[in-house]
Amino acid sequence: MAEQPLDAPAGVGSKIGNVAGHPALFSLIFAFALGWAIVWLTGGDPWFAYREMFDGAVTGSGLRNTLSRAIPIVGMALAVSVAFRSGVINLGGEGQMVVGGLAGTVVAIYMPGPGQLVIPVAMVVGGLAGALWALLPALGQTRLRLPILITSLLLNYVARAITGYLVRFRLLDDSVTLTSTEQVPATARMPKIPVFGGVSYSLLLVVVLVIVIWVVYGRSVSGYETRMAGLNGRFARYGGIQVERQTVYVMAVAGAIGGVIGTHMILGDAYRYIDGELVLSGLAWTGLLVALLANNHPLLILAAGLLFSGLQIGGLAMQRNADVSWRLAQVLQALVIVAVASRLTFTWFKRRTDRGVTPGEVEPAGVGEV
Amino acid sequence: MFDQLFDAALFDSVVRAMIPILLAALGGMICERAGVFQIAMEGMMLSGAFAAVAGSYVAVYSGLGVVFAVGAGVLVSLMLAFGAVSRRGDPIVLGIALNLMAIGLTGFLLPQIFGVRGVFQHERIDGLDRLAIPVLSDIPWIGSVLFNQTILAYVAFLLVPILWLVLFRTPIGLRLRGVGERPLAAESLGVSPIAYKYGAVIASGVLSGLAGAQLALGNVVQFAENMSSGRGWVAVVAVMLGRAHPFAVFGASLLFAFAEGLGFRLQGNGLPVQITDALPFLVTLIALIAARKRFARLLDLTTGG
Repeated sequence: MAEQPLDAPAGVGSKIGNVAGHPALFSLIFAFALGWAIVWLTGGDPWFAYREMFDGAVTGSGLRNTLSRAIPIVGMALAVSVAFRSGVINLGGEGQMVVGGLAGTVVAIYMPGPGQLVIPVAMVVGGLAGALWALLPALGQTRLRLPILITSLLLNYVARAITGYLVRFRLLDDSVTLTSTEQVPATARMPKIPVFGGVSYSLLLVVVLVIVIWVVYGRSVSGYETRMAGLNGRFARYGGIQVERQTVYVMAVAGAIGGVIGTHMILGDAYRYIDGELVLSGLAWTGLLVALLANNHPLLILAAGLLFSGLQIGGLAMQRNADVSWRLAQVLQALVIVAVASRLTFTWFKRRTDRGVTPGEVEPAGVGEV
Repeated sequence: MFDQLFDAALFDSVVRAMIPILLAALGGMICERAGVFQIAMEGMMLSGAFAAVAGSYVAVYSGLGVVFAVGAGVLVSLMLAFGAVSRRGDPIVLGIALNLMAIGLTGFLLPQIFGVRGVFQHERIDGLDRLAIPVLSDIPWIGSVLFNQTILAYVAFLLVPILWLVLFRTPIGLRLRGVGERPLAAESLGVSPIAYKYGAVIASGVLSGLAGAQLALGNVVQFAENMSSGRGWVAVVAVMLGRAHPFAVFGASLLFAFAEGLGFRLQGNGLPVQITDALPFLVTLIALIAARKRFARLLDLTTGG
C-alpha cells in the first residue's frame, strides 16, 4: 500500500508503516548528521552545539522546561493523530489552538469565582471553541466536498486575523506595550505539580489523554471504526461505517484538544494572551511532526513529544551558550520527517552503498508495513 | 468611493501581488499534470526568497540573487522528487515537512549568517529594477503598470501561453500529461515516468524559487522571516481551481492577487491590518466553495472516498 501513494486511500500516518518497519532511528541519525553539517558550514562548532543542546534539555531547569513544553507538543500531536488515524488530514491545529486559547483566556479573565470552578470552565469553553472552529472544515468536506487538507490550513490565517483583531481592538491591555490581553488573575492560573521545580497540572491532563486515546483506539469499536476509515475509506463505508459522520466527529475531537491546549498555554504558561505568540511558537506544527514520527501511536507520541520538546529547550540553551540559533531544532525535526517519509532505512542505505541501486528502485514493502 | 479605490496604483499592487503566486502556481500546475501532488511551493518560495537576498547581498547584484533563488528552489525540489518519486513516499507528508524545514532553515541562517533576527535589510541588497518596455509602457493607465515591471513579471506572464503551447501542442507536453494520467501506458510506450516527474518537480522548484526572488527583491527589498506567509498554499489552491490549465491558473492567481491588492489599499483607507490580511484567504475559501465540484481527485487522495 505504501508503494502507491497516489492510489492509496489510507490516512497520512498509516502509510508510513508500523513501529517495526519504521525508519525512525536511521532518520534521526540522518537528521542530526545533516544538522551537524549545517552548523559546521555556517561557522559553528557542531559537537559543542550538540553537547550544549543535550545538557540544556536535561540538566538544571532543563528537565522542568522540557516537561513543560512537552505538554502542548504532545497535546497537539494527539489532536492531529486522532484525525490522521481516520484519514482526515487536519492541518488546522494552529487555528483551533488560537481560537480555543483566546476563548479560554476570556473566560479566565472575566469569569468571577474560585479557581477550582474558573479553570475547568475556561478549559471546556476553550475546547468547545476549538471544536466549533474545526467543524468548519469538517462540514466543508462532508457537505460541500471541499478537501479538509486545504480548508483547514487556509482557516489558520483567518483565525490569526480574527483573534488578532479581537486582541487589538476589543481585549487590549493598555498598560503594556505588547499587543496582549490583560493578565489572567492569580486565582485562575493552573497550579503546578511540585516536581522538578514545578510543572503545570496540565501534564496530568495530557497523560490521561494519552491513556484514554490508547485505550479507545486499541480496545473499542469506535477505535476500530476510525482505524478502518483511515486505512481504507471505501472499504469502511462498504462495511457500514459512516465515514462522513466520523470525519465530523474526529475533527471536533481534534479541535477540542487543540482548544484545551491553547487554553493551557495561557492559564498554565504565559498568563496573558499575546497576539501571535501561539502561532510563532509553532507548537501545532511540532505536534504534527511528532504524530508523524510516532505513527499516531499515543504512547510513542509521548516519547517523540518529549524528544522534540527536549530538542527545542536544549536548542535555547545551545543558542545562549554556543551562539547557534535554536531554530536548528526546527530544522532537525522537519528533516527527521522528510527522511521518514522518504523511507530511508539502514537496509536502504546498505543496499545503496553495497550495490549502487538505481534511484528508482524500491525494495519490497517491509513485513511490518501497513 | 470607487474612484478612490480602483486606480492605477491598485492595479499595480494587484500585479505585484500576482507575480509570486502565478510563478509558484505554474510550477504546481506542471507537477499536477505529471501526477505529482505538490504542496511544497510555500517552502520553496521561502527558501528562494532567502537565497535571493543572500545572493544579492554577496554580489551587490540582483542577478546573482535570482540565480541563488533558483538554486535554493531546485535543492528543495530535489528532496521532494527523491522522496516522492524515487522512494514513493507520501507527497503530502513530504510537502508539509519541507515547508516546515524551510521556515526553520531560513530562520536559522538569518542570525547565523547575517546576525539579525526577524527582518534583514541592507544597502548591499540590490533590488530587481523595473524595466519599462519602450512604446508599450507609454500606453496610459494599463501600459504604465503592465509594461513597467521586473523581468520576473514578464517571465511569469510569458510563461502562461508558453506553457499552454508546451503542454498541449508539443510531444514533451503530451508525454508529461501521459505520465500523469496513464503512467503505465506512457511507460509501455517508452516514456520514463520517473524522468518526467523529476523534471516537473524540478521545474516547480525553479519557478517557486523565482517567485521567492520576486517577493524579496521585487515587491520589497529585504528578507523577513516566513515572508511567503501562505502564498505557496494560495498557489496550491490556484492550481486546483484552475484545473491545472495555464489560462485558468492565471485567472485564479489574478483573483487572489486582486484580493491581496485590494486589502492593501483598504488598509491605507483605515481598515485594520488584521482584517485586510485575511482577505486573500477568505476570497480563496469563497472561490473554493463556488468551484467545489472540481476537487474529486484530491478528495479521493485524502479521504479514500
